[in-house]
Amino acid sequence: MKRHKKSAAVAAATAFSIVLAGCAGSASKQDSSDESGLRALTFRSWSPIEQTTRQMVDAFTSANPDTKIDATIFNYPEYLVDLQTRASSGTMPDIIGLQPGALTQQYRSNLLPLQDCAQKTWGADWQKKFYPIGIDQARLGNPAGDENFYSLPLLVQTVNLWANTEIFEAGNAQIPKTWDELVAVVKQLKGGEYAPFMLPAKDSWLRNVVFLQIANNVEPGLVYQAEDGSDKWTNPKIVEAFTYWGKLFTDGIAQDGAIGLDAYPSGANQFEAGNAAMIPLGAWWIQQSDPSKTGIPPLSEGMSGYQPFLFPTIPGGAAQSQYVGGIDVALGISKNTKNPDLACKVLTDWIAGAGAQKLINTFNDLPAVTGLNPEKFTSDKQQQIWTTLTTEWMPQVKYSRYLKSPQLDTALGDALSAIATGQLTPKAAADKMQAEQEKVGG
Amino acid sequence: MTYVKIDKTSVRRERLAGTMFLLPAFLLFVLFVVYPIVYNVQASTLDWDGVNQGVFTGLGNYARLFDDPIFITTLKNSGWWILLTIIPQALIGFFLALLLNEKIRGRAIYRAIFFVPAVLSPVVVGIVWQRMLDPFNGVFVKVGQATGLDFLARGYLADPETAIFAAIVVNVWMWTGFSMLFYLAGLQLIDSSVLAAAKIDGASTWRTVRSIIWPMLRPTHLSLLLLGVIGSLKTFELVYVLTEGGPNHASEMLPTYTFKQAFQLQSVGYASTISVVLLLIAVVSSLSMVRAFGSGFLTGDAK
Repeated sequence: MKRHKKSAAVAAATAFSIVLAGCAGSASKQDSSDESGLRALTFRSWSPIEQTTRQMVDAFTSANPDTKIDATIFNYPEYLVDLQTRASSGTMPDIIGLQPGALTQQYRSNLLPLQDCAQKTWGADWQKKFYPIGIDQARLGNPAGDENFYSLPLLVQTVNLWANTEIFEAGNAQIPKTWDELVAVVKQLKGGEYAPFMLPAKDSWLRNVVFLQIANNVEPGLVYQAEDGSDKWTNPKIVEAFTYWGKLFTDGIAQDGAIGLDAYPSGANQFEAGNAAMIPLGAWWIQQSDPSKTGIPPLSEGMSGYQPFLFPTIPGGAAQSQYVGGIDVALGISKNTKNPDLACKVLTDWIAGAGAQKLINTFNDLPAVTGLNPEKFTSDKQQQIWTTLTTEWMPQVKYSRYLKSPQLDTALGDALSAIATGQLTPKAAADKMQAEQEKVGG
Repeated sequence: MTYVKIDKTSVRRERLAGTMFLLPAFLLFVLFVVYPIVYNVQASTLDWDGVNQGVFTGLGNYARLFDDPIFITTLKNSGWWILLTIIPQALIGFFLALLLNEKIRGRAIYRAIFFVPAVLSPVVVGIVWQRMLDPFNGVFVKVGQATGLDFLARGYLADPETAIFAAIVVNVWMWTGFSMLFYLAGLQLIDSSVLAAAKIDGASTWRTVRSIIWPMLRPTHLSLLLLGVIGSLKTFELVYVLTEGGPNHASEMLPTYTFKQAFQLQSVGYASTISVVLLLIAVVSSLSMVRAFGSGFLTGDAK
């Protein structure tokens, strides 16, 4: 019996030592070159899509034949799981996709500051290459005094509305510029087989970006002051913004069951199929006309059936609709990369070089740098929309599509959902946000 | 009286061989079961974002659970889920199995049709059902409009009062075929002479089902019960795709809330606490069942 116990103890000790070895989380760094002698890098992200990423990788590796890039693209939730697991096990990829603010800040201690890389590649005035909002947001949430760029924007975007111009023309309706016009046009277009204003509000991110457009049209910039604690969420102007959000549901502007419909794939599919006259999405909708795609629906062919427009102004609010947007995806370099120079070369190539050109040729979203355009447009309409988005709108984007703190971002999504379903009044939602802000702010 | 001399060396060898046979399974168990549990329990005592250094908070995260209304909602929803999926799934599956155990034309095709939802990805099922239940343009609303059945036109997934029940209905649709298959397998094990004897004794079909078939399928009921409880507690994909736990967390389940805390709110410590609670519920409910019904019920040895 004693001996039996001994054997069990030996087995347990062996198992435990294996476990401890795994526990240490000190997995060895990957070699900088693979068996074939190529300089190797790893890249993981949720964006750009796999097909586009492959083109970007090919563009770089053909120009640099001694390199190899192992790229993996995930769905966003899976990517977060993968990244967190790798970061805590010491196996971070060399280049990673990031969102500004909370995600970049979470990994800040694992990331290389990028301003030297940018300066070396693009010169001292490198920041001027980028749209201003991209530069602002790249450092979102940095601790006071930390001026480092831990990520650089790859793609940027506006958040706005899109109109199905065929429905508008057939209904002899005008794209609304004010709230009253929005109400009127929804009334005018009601009764058809389509939704006049399709709001796929199941997704928290979509609720938030629509609200931020409303809030900035009510009182530009106020919501960010409330987030910083320099104003309050209970400010009557923010309560008014919540009220207008609620009106989308109570006044029959959004379609029935809006809070249960997701933006992707359901909302987007329905809009592309011509089942909606308007939808709130963003500049990235232009990717529907990506010429490399096959089987493009007629509305999306050369963007023939669409027109982007800004969220209508609110009575008593700003005279002009405000531009809201920011970084879609940014790139960062792992502090532990064995090839920092190569990683810098790849990152800058994808942001503003040959790789970036491949990326932009697919209309995936708007480039982070100015003056980069697709090599080929499939229609004048597509070119006209691209020009509007990149030269008129994007340079004017002043307000962020995100809140800095994930806690407040989530609380806002919850508050908007509660207003939409009648569980909270706008005032109660504002109180709840203020309480959350005080909790997060300490 | 005959004495058998036991060679000590051969006993030792036997023991060593036994230990060596056990070792791979034991190592895998420690690595993939014990270690994650220990790690999770440790993480549940931290204020930690999963990447940077955590701060020890003792039982702080556990105390926070009691003040978290969303956590309470997830517990309630898990209770509804267990109750409203296991019983309907078992009953419908049982009667389908009875029907498809008869020699009817095309029964293999029917069996396959009823089983197909169980092999579909929950993500696909979620997307399709969300579209079907869309009160603006879904199949149900169209049928409702055509037939005058107004209740079909309601936005069940968009209403906090009904979202969890709508998700449960979809789950029952998805997994009933699985219960049916279990019962079909169970029915094959019933000795046909027992059924023949009942018939000779004049038992009606209903009486045979109620007094013979149903009780003889006890191991199947219990297996489905155990799998149902664990499956309910683990539910993630279907709810995430159908409602994302909304509206306003009304259909939140323990795993969806854990995921949000860990990866959207960067609160891995608190998410680990929820996971520990989930693990405790799963272990306690499984052990309770084993204790109540005997450990042999899964293998069909239950008496």
